[in-house]
Amino acid sequence: MHKSTVRIALILSAVLASTIAVGSDDPAHERHELMEGVRDAAKPVGAMLQGELEYDADRVMQSLEVWAAAAEEFGGLFPEGSEGGEAAPAIWEDRDGFDAALVEWRNAIAAAQDAAPATLDEAGPAIGPAFKACKNCHDTYRIEDE
Amino acid sequence: MKTSKKLAIALPAILLLAAFWLTRPLPLSSSDLPEHTPDAVAGERMFWAGGCASCHASLVDGRRAKGDDKFQLGGGLELDTPFGVFRAPNISPHDDDGIGNWSILEFVNAMQRGIAPDGRHYYPSFPYTSYARMRVEDVMDLKAYIDTLPAVAGRIEDHTLGFPYSVRRGIGAWKRLYFDAQPVVDVDADNEMLVLGRYLVEGPGHCGECHTPRNRLGGLLTGQWLAGAPNPEGEGRVPDITPAAREIGGWSARNIAYYLKSGFTPDFDTVGGSMVAVQENLAMLSDSDREAIAAYLKAVPPVE
Repeated sequence: MHKSTVRIALILSAVLASTIAVGSDDPAHERHELMEGVRDAAKPVGAMLQGELEYDADRVMQSLEVWAAAAEEFGGLFPEGSEGGEAAPAIWEDRDGFDAALVEWRNAIAAAQDAAPATLDEAGPAIGPAFKACKNCHDTYRIEDE
Repeated sequence: MKTSKKLAIALPAILLLAAFWLTRPLPLSSSDLPEHTPDAVAGERMFWAGGCASCHASLVDGRRAKGDDKFQLGGGLELDTPFGVFRAPNISPHDDDGIGNWSILEFVNAMQRGIAPDGRHYYPSFPYTSYARMRVEDVMDLKAYIDTLPAVAGRIEDHTLGFPYSVRRGIGAWKRLYFDAQPVVDVDADNEMLVLGRYLVEGPGHCGECHTPRNRLGGLLTGQWLAGAPNPEGEGRVPDITPAAREIGGWSARNIAYYLKSGFTPDFDTVGGSMVAVQENLAMLSDSDREAIAAYLKAVPPVE
């Protein structure tokens, strides 16, 4: 009961965030906020994978839902003229490559959701590709913001 | 008058001879090599620890190689520094363009004395200053491993340096000032993990080459060991990784080991910049090697 309430709240906030983002005229700010949400959702999962936090399958699924919502929305936050921040010029120079990286991210999240890892042993292989997708995309399409 | 005239002629000649003597290369000879059969399998560990591919792998579309392209050691990466542009040469086992026909001794002299087979000094952009701290056996194994990789044809253009850095002989003087193969940090000799961590960081890993600041002549300021430095490749800074560091100082040894394995910081940001290539190399090492690196980094003197 309690967990499903949390889940609904998370989904609602994700939906709300996306509604705000569509109406926003500051996509650079919105995509930054969205990524911070992704990062915050990743922290407990990462702590579990490192053995610093007890494995909690429900919490992992919540994080995956946050990621899935973000991954749906993220690609729309890079319109022409919104260059800047940590977004690399490569996003606009190679939009197809960037879109492909986003597809890889979405697919990895969907696969992890389908796998629904119940134990820590299952979690590593199930979620690993989604983490790897973060890193792969950052390597090419994110720059250090000085 | 006559004597002073003689002296006026003789003195520059004496100084020149002295300079020539002081800057001469001091290579090892074959009798310095231990009895050791090079082991290519063991050499792979040194290949990743040493990060050879980060500079020497052939560029792919102008970018650092990823994945299996790291085994194509045709060179070409440029380091644009205040001294000029350094270009990493071909170190693939190609007989003419790479190092395929080098002897083990020539390879050891390059790696640990900074001396080319033709006797010239290498610039310390090639971090032999750190590799000098490696066990000779490990260097011999590394050569055996590189010999198993693909031969890549093609030579890389030489460095483009301004005067006086363009005078290679000057590196002999530089080496007398700054080339020191001794360990930097004192660690408990009975603590095997710390000793291994120091070896990996100060030797093959050559972490200090970027994370430690340098003086105007490019000598490392070892009093600020690993305390962060301007980025030699451009803007920004290479971070402080001592226990006093604002951000990384707060990471546990486990956090550091996980970062080196996965590329994720404790805040779940991903590794960026030049460290991407370094992290991906260190991810190829064993968990125990990464744990040793982490233990050492928690043990180095904190520098504010």
